Amino acid sequence: MKKDLFKKFLVMVLVICTIVATTGCASKKTDENNTTSTEPTTAAQNTSTEKKEIKFFHRFPDEPFNSFIESKIAEYETAHPDIDIVVTSAQNDPYKEKIKVVVGTDDCPDVFFSWPGEFSERFIREDLVMDLKPYLDADQEWKDSLLATQLAEYTTSDGMVYGIPFRLDGKMFFYNKDIFEEQGLSIPATWDEFIAVCDKLQEAGITPIAYGNQDQWPSAHYIGTLNQMLVSDEVRAKDYEATTGEFTDPGYEKALTYYQQLIPYFSQGTNGLTHDMVRTSFSQGQAGMIYVELVEIPYIKQENPELNYGMFNFPTVEGAGDPTILTGSPEGFVVSSKTKYPEECVEFLKWFLGPEVGAEQAQTIGWFNGSVGIDKAVTDDYLKEAYNVIANATKMGPWFDASLYSTVCNEYLTEVSSLTNGDITTAEAMAKIQKVAKEAQTIAATDK
Amino acid sequence: METKQKVTSKNLILKILIHLFLLSLVGFIFLPMLWLILNSLKTNNELFANSLALPEVWQFHNYVIAWSKGLFAYFKNSVIVSAIALSFILLFSSFFAYGLTRFKLKGSNLIFFVVLGGMALSEQVALVPLYKILQTLHLYNTYLALILPYIAFRIPFTAFLLRSYFISIPKELEEAAVIDGYNSLQIFTKIIVPISKPVLSSCAIVNLNFVWNEFLFANVFLESKSIMTIPIGLMSFKGDMKADYTVMLAGIAVASIPLIALFICMQKQFVRGLTAGAVKG
Amino acid sequence: MKKKKLTPYLYVLPGLLMVLSFVYIPVVANFFYSFFRLSSYSVDKKFVGFDNFVRLFTNEAFPIMIRNNLYYCIISLIVQVGFGTFVALMLESKLTGRLRNFYRNVYFIPALISLSAVGLLFTFVYSPDLGLINNFLESIGLEQYTQVWLGDSKLAIFCIIAMSQWQFTGYITLLMVVAIQSVSTDYLEAAKIDGAGPIRTAVNIIIPLAKEQLLVCSIITIIGAFKVFTEVYSTTSGGPGKSSQVLGTYLYQNAFLHDDMGMAAATGVLIFIITVTVSIIQIKVTKSGEV
Repeated sequence: MKKDLFKKFLVMVLVICTIVATTGCASKKTDENNTTSTEPTTAAQNTSTEKKEIKFFHRFPDEPFNSFIESKIAEYETAHPDIDIVVTSAQNDPYKEKIKVVVGTDDCPDVFFSWPGEFSERFIREDLVMDLKPYLDADQEWKDSLLATQLAEYTTSDGMVYGIPFRLDGKMFFYNKDIFEEQGLSIPATWDEFIAVCDKLQEAGITPIAYGNQDQWPSAHYIGTLNQMLVSDEVRAKDYEATTGEFTDPGYEKALTYYQQLIPYFSQGTNGLTHDMVRTSFSQGQAGMIYVELVEIPYIKQENPELNYGMFNFPTVEGAGDPTILTGSPEGFVVSSKTKYPEECVEFLKWFLGPEVGAEQAQTIGWFNGSVGIDKAVTDDYLKEAYNVIANATKMGPWFDASLYSTVCNEYLTEVSSLTNGDITTAEAMAKIQKVAKEAQTIAATDK
Repeated sequence: METKQKVTSKNLILKILIHLFLLSLVGFIFLPMLWLILNSLKTNNELFANSLALPEVWQFHNYVIAWSKGLFAYFKNSVIVSAIALSFILLFSSFFAYGLTRFKLKGSNLIFFVVLGGMALSEQVALVPLYKILQTLHLYNTYLALILPYIAFRIPFTAFLLRSYFISIPKELEEAAVIDGYNSLQIFTKIIVPISKPVLSSCAIVNLNFVWNEFLFANVFLESKSIMTIPIGLMSFKGDMKADYTVMLAGIAVASIPLIALFICMQKQFVRGLTAGAVKG
Repeated sequence: MKKKKLTPYLYVLPGLLMVLSFVYIPVVANFFYSFFRLSSYSVDKKFVGFDNFVRLFTNEAFPIMIRNNLYYCIISLIVQVGFGTFVALMLESKLTGRLRNFYRNVYFIPALISLSAVGLLFTFVYSPDLGLINNFLESIGLEQYTQVWLGDSKLAIFCIIAMSQWQFTGYITLLMVVAIQSVSTDYLEAAKIDGAGPIRTAVNIIIPLAKEQLLVCSIITIIGAFKVFTEVYSTTSGGPGKSSQVLGTYLYQNAFLHDDMGMAAATGVLIFIITVTVSIIQIKVTKSGEV
């Protein structure tokens, strides 16, 4: 008899469920302001706002960078009332995972951060990224305002331009000038001089090289640079490509041997330290040298504004490769091929990654975008030097960990990590890397 | 006389030894936590200089920074997700256990076995397909992406527990109620639920502990910072190139307080409920 | 009449549907996926037969993962279940007095902290530079015992296991306290009259009566040891090298770092087989499931 009551109750539960479901979705919509109006309900909701929504996904959630990005975007929105840019962000490692997840779906952001090289090119193979070359060709002024060497990093071998740099970068050795002076040391240019400097510092009881490899990517920069000098460009190009990668060139093992020579000079317990921990100790004058990215200059300034330091190139090692390559690559944004507003996205990038914002960006947050001549606005000498290092580089060497197929990269980094702990020999490490590279060949072939 | 005295003095020594032992365990548990709180009140430079030293100035504003640096939002998200998930876990599980124990259902053994079997299935095994399913349903990166799997994965255990408790409730209570003209839902809300309060509160704490602290699903099914729950939010304090360590430590402390406080307030009911239902994990 | 028959099913239905759709369907789908090569951003999948399993079992990391999961399992059994029960017996002996609830609650507290928070905290505790342990050793003049802890290939997994023991021993202790409390006082009185000391009472009376709970705790611990993920992910991510890799992190990295979801699914199948086998053993052994 009173079953009705029960039914009512169940209905209520169902209603609650649907409310939860819709609020859940709604919260997603307000959160993301989805442009995917494929669902009729959201289309109805969106009729009041005729704005064009551009979803923007970046990987700089740290301050002050995040605030700078958001303030610039707000500025752009004020100037363009018809555009609504919806920003989301994630940290480096989560970003790598997240973007792969959304890029193939309808939820793909219109404009998103992507590393040059293999990281982006696998998306290009799936036709998920838009070609910007036609837009650049149509606007010569825009094209000329960008540094050609940096744009080249965002160009495929068959000429497609898929991204515009947001932040230029390069890897250099920084040294503590005061310590070097005290010890009567000068900048080392060759490997032998470098080792001599390390010995001298160690004798004086100073950690020669601040280096923390807990997160494993820092080792990739050492190995990547050494490989550039020890292995010829052609062989590297072949090996870094998943379908043809073998890593049998003796130069690769030689690179590991050179790296091995440095292990006694690294910070104690390298594999238990993170890069930012050791950078802090360098900033506080507890180490003689550190291999860092130029984008870290603002951090060092924060950690110790008084630090008196200088920079030099990775010491030259004789080999089949090219020692003039500057390790590092620009990082920038690409446009999704699925975007509904390609024109608007490009217009936005022209401004956001152009000289005007670039000059302000360099001065306020200490990062340079790919525009020509933006160092004029900069007052900091370290930053000026950094810009010139990058702008004068004839050739860039993309990040090693971003250029390799992910399983090969993973294997490389874990083996270098074991090598750092003295668990394996260089020959064993190379054998394992070669094995995984071979496996990757078959996997990559299946994918194509 | 003499022997008795010997026994008591022997007992006393034993007692002191046991207390010393148990207290040293307390120290062992508290040490990392005290270290955490100490260093969360320092500057980064002080932490790097000596993590055991007292700070020159107690940096209470580390907590303010942590809170404003996103912890507030993570907190809010955790509360929303936990509240909704927990309500439905308890509702569905108690309905389920009630339906199974109070009625003669065809195939009730099978139904029970199927749901119970869910206990043996781990989150990892479902991770990849769930993620694909949530994407297809357009639930990826919403609160529901967490709430639905949380409910589903906690029902088997909760229902199992409640079932064994409901079975022990004497039938006479209901028979009286039926005579009073109660329908099945009224029996549920007016008799079964009040009687089961201790076991329900234990279930609530155990499940809350799971939902509040869950990491794997939250890490995979959410993308936006704005809807992250605390466990993954904390990880984002670890910056890409730079981490504000002391602020991160403050964040860890704040994130851990609610459940600990709740447990301290409710520990009596919790343990009583555990005894009643013999909660197993 | 029909209505009446339907009602009970309505009670059961929501729970059943939830479990079927968000637990069973994904698990079944996982079996299916494990025979394919598929990535997260590409739509097509290729049937590869048992290839994923072959790659999993022949992978160099495979023996390391199994070894680490086994270490996790064995050490957790000894410390959490063995030592945890020992502490529970001590707490429930007549000798602890009024402080027993205080002890019990303190030991339980770490279990209430989220795994990732504990992971973050312990990366500090273990840090060679500024960590609690090394700083402590230095301050009492034992510099020679300082270690790189998580950065040492031989120690890393044990550091993580130790962290888990810190976190969960108190949990098992609490469960065992509850079980011991439910042992009827009649038995204890009888034992007292027989002149049995506390140790004999524990071994001869309490343990056999709390056997079932002990078994359940062991099963939870074993299954937990094979599911472990967050503990490793938030501290070493499997490093240095592959030294602290476990099945859980391997699954995750394949799915979300290498876009090899088929491989991840295959790893999932392995975890499934292990955990389900353990559960079946539990049902067989207890028999008191009384299903």
